Amino acid sequence: MLKKWLFGLASLVTLFSFNLTIQADKPHYTITTDATYAPFTFQDKNNKYVGIEQETMKAVADREGFTYTMKPMSFNSAAQLVSNGQADGIIAGMGVTEERKEVYDFSTPYYKTGVAWIVKKDSNIKSLKDLKGQTVALKTGTSASEYGKSLQTKYGFKIKYFNDTDTMYNDVVNGNSAATFEDMPVIQYSIKNGIQLKIMNPKSLGNAGVYAFAVEKGKNKALLASFNKGFAGIKKDGTYDKIVKKYLGATQSTFSGSKKDNSSIFGILNSNKSAFLKGLWQTIELTVIAILLASIFGILLGIMGVSEFKLIRGISTTIIYIFRGLPLMVLAFFIYIGLPGVIGIKIPAFTAGIITLILNEGAYTGAFVRGGFEAVEHGQMEAARSLGLTYGKAMRRVIMPQGIRIMVPSFINQFIITLKDTSILSAIGLLELTQTGTLIVARNSQGFRVWAIIAMMYLILITLLTWLSNWVERRLK
Amino acid sequence: MSDAQAKVKVHVEKVNKSYGDNHVLRDISLDIAENEVVVMIGPSGSGKSTFLRMLNQLEMPDDGTIVVDGFNISDKSTDINKVRENIGMVFQSFNLFNNYSVLENIMLAPIETGKMDKAAAETKARQLLDTVGLSEKADVSVNSLSGGQKQRIAIARALAMEPDIMLFDEPTSALDPEMVGDVLEVMKNLAESGMTMIIVTHEMGFAKQVADRVVFFESGKIQESGAPKQVFDAPKNERLQEFLSKVMHA
Repeated sequence: MLKKWLFGLASLVTLFSFNLTIQADKPHYTITTDATYAPFTFQDKNNKYVGIEQETMKAVADREGFTYTMKPMSFNSAAQLVSNGQADGIIAGMGVTEERKEVYDFSTPYYKTGVAWIVKKDSNIKSLKDLKGQTVALKTGTSASEYGKSLQTKYGFKIKYFNDTDTMYNDVVNGNSAATFEDMPVIQYSIKNGIQLKIMNPKSLGNAGVYAFAVEKGKNKALLASFNKGFAGIKKDGTYDKIVKKYLGATQSTFSGSKKDNSSIFGILNSNKSAFLKGLWQTIELTVIAILLASIFGILLGIMGVSEFKLIRGISTTIIYIFRGLPLMVLAFFIYIGLPGVIGIKIPAFTAGIITLILNEGAYTGAFVRGGFEAVEHGQMEAARSLGLTYGKAMRRVIMPQGIRIMVPSFINQFIITLKDTSILSAIGLLELTQTGTLIVARNSQGFRVWAIIAMMYLILITLLTWLSNWVERRLK
Repeated sequence: MSDAQAKVKVHVEKVNKSYGDNHVLRDISLDIAENEVVVMIGPSGSGKSTFLRMLNQLEMPDDGTIVVDGFNISDKSTDINKVRENIGMVFQSFNLFNNYSVLENIMLAPIETGKMDKAAAETKARQLLDTVGLSEKADVSVNSLSGGQKQRIAIARALAMEPDIMLFDEPTSALDPEMVGDVLEVMKNLAESGMTMIIVTHEMGFAKQVADRVVFFESGKIQESGAPKQVFDAPKNERLQEFLSKVMHA
């Protein structure tokens, strides 16, 4: 049984390790980016990744004759994948700092930026001094937020943290927070897109800095040289300026879709049909594969947990203890970002996600499978053994069939949990339903409508899964 | 039947067993002959059930020797599964397999141990159901049976392996009084057929009637043993006298 499982896992890993076909004569790179950083990188109304960075990268690659696979994800994951060698380069609005120079080698900067401070359009706040005692909204982990925080003592404001830009903006628009800090081009794009905010310091940006393309320190020298050469080329012939103008000069509907498409649930559903379907399919794929493999792994752990042999029982208990104890997201980060640096093998996000779910859901399954076997009356085992049945036969013929009946409701419960847990994998950039929602909201700022659609989709999936499980349960009886 | 030529089926020598500080069996030695029916009596916690459960290694002795059918089962390296095929056991709580029908309960062990093929096992099972008077229950779920019926099926299940020793661990203690008679009747017939039987019970009437030998356990020791007439009518041991006066007048 163990062999079979290992074989299954091995073939799964192979299945999802296939990369794009690589042309032998051109170098091929993996580039990561921040999926929600308009106008540098974002999904347009056709759910294609566009933006200043995307077009710059393409122009440079065409010019220098290399090919690449672009991997959009969160900024943190994007940065870590490059620093641990899983990806070759990052173009994600990464500001050049002394600290980052220890880890990365930077290209010629492609954009000058700085931090703007921003208030509601009709606000009567005139200067930073007016913020005394007020609340300021900041996005965690950004350089804009660090800049904002550095001003806190001087101007005496309170800080409230957010995880994404849109919620942060809306907090200011709604008047809950008085002001926010954000990178200049990002807020410029959002204002163009209709957000009711105004920039207070367009002429004197704080923490002025530059964005550059980066590779792991000391590695990928050829890629860095190509980028610098190509970028100098497109800068010289005017291509780059055209790209920047295209994004900063464009009207709202050019990228985020018409008002009609965004002002109703049906409009959003219709204009994002393919993105929703892709996200839905990815969630289904993750759920089905994870449920099957985690159940196999869990049953195996459960059987090991009631073995005659102490050592095997101990192995089962330890595995369950570890993987049940780890938060799913920590496990996902560990497998996707931590492990490859040590074992030297790249793990694709989908495979990492599946392995995470197998280990975590499998541990929970193992615990209730073992519990189910143990819940079978002790006398059943004694009766079977006293008739001359071996331990294994007594288990298979008498204990397990009874235990499995006890476990059926736990299995159904675990299947539903697995489906919901797939949403956590959006953290490693898997484009499942939740991440799809994040990307669409980042573009059109229609949080309520988009999340209502996503929530409905999960409910429908969970209903279908429950029906299917109940049908199987009836068949078992 | 305990004549000198009779073959020894069970040989127990100086067996001890403790659970922590509780010394439940102390230096027990006992021989049981082929075809002999031995009834073990004694107060709760006297060690008689533990002793019985050692005879098919449901419990392991701490020291001492137990030889059943010529196999030293106090030795861990003995293939206990083979030995158990020849020792039937009947439990106080029946322990019928909940996931099988009555007939399947009886057929399971002969098939799984490779003793019989399916057809032979079914023939055997139906014949045993007839013997215990429950032919019409062949296809029902075991949970629909009364306690007395369950215990008769449990006896049939043990007999399906064609054992030459049968162990009974308080087979009637969990039954309603009106059910006890049917079960004892089946056991009595079994004893008359010449089966070697070791029975832990509180049914003194049954012991008097069926036993070749009665063994009295108290505080982990065999205090007295002998023919039923002697044990019940002329007990020598003081504790036995006390025990009998309690159970007979209860």
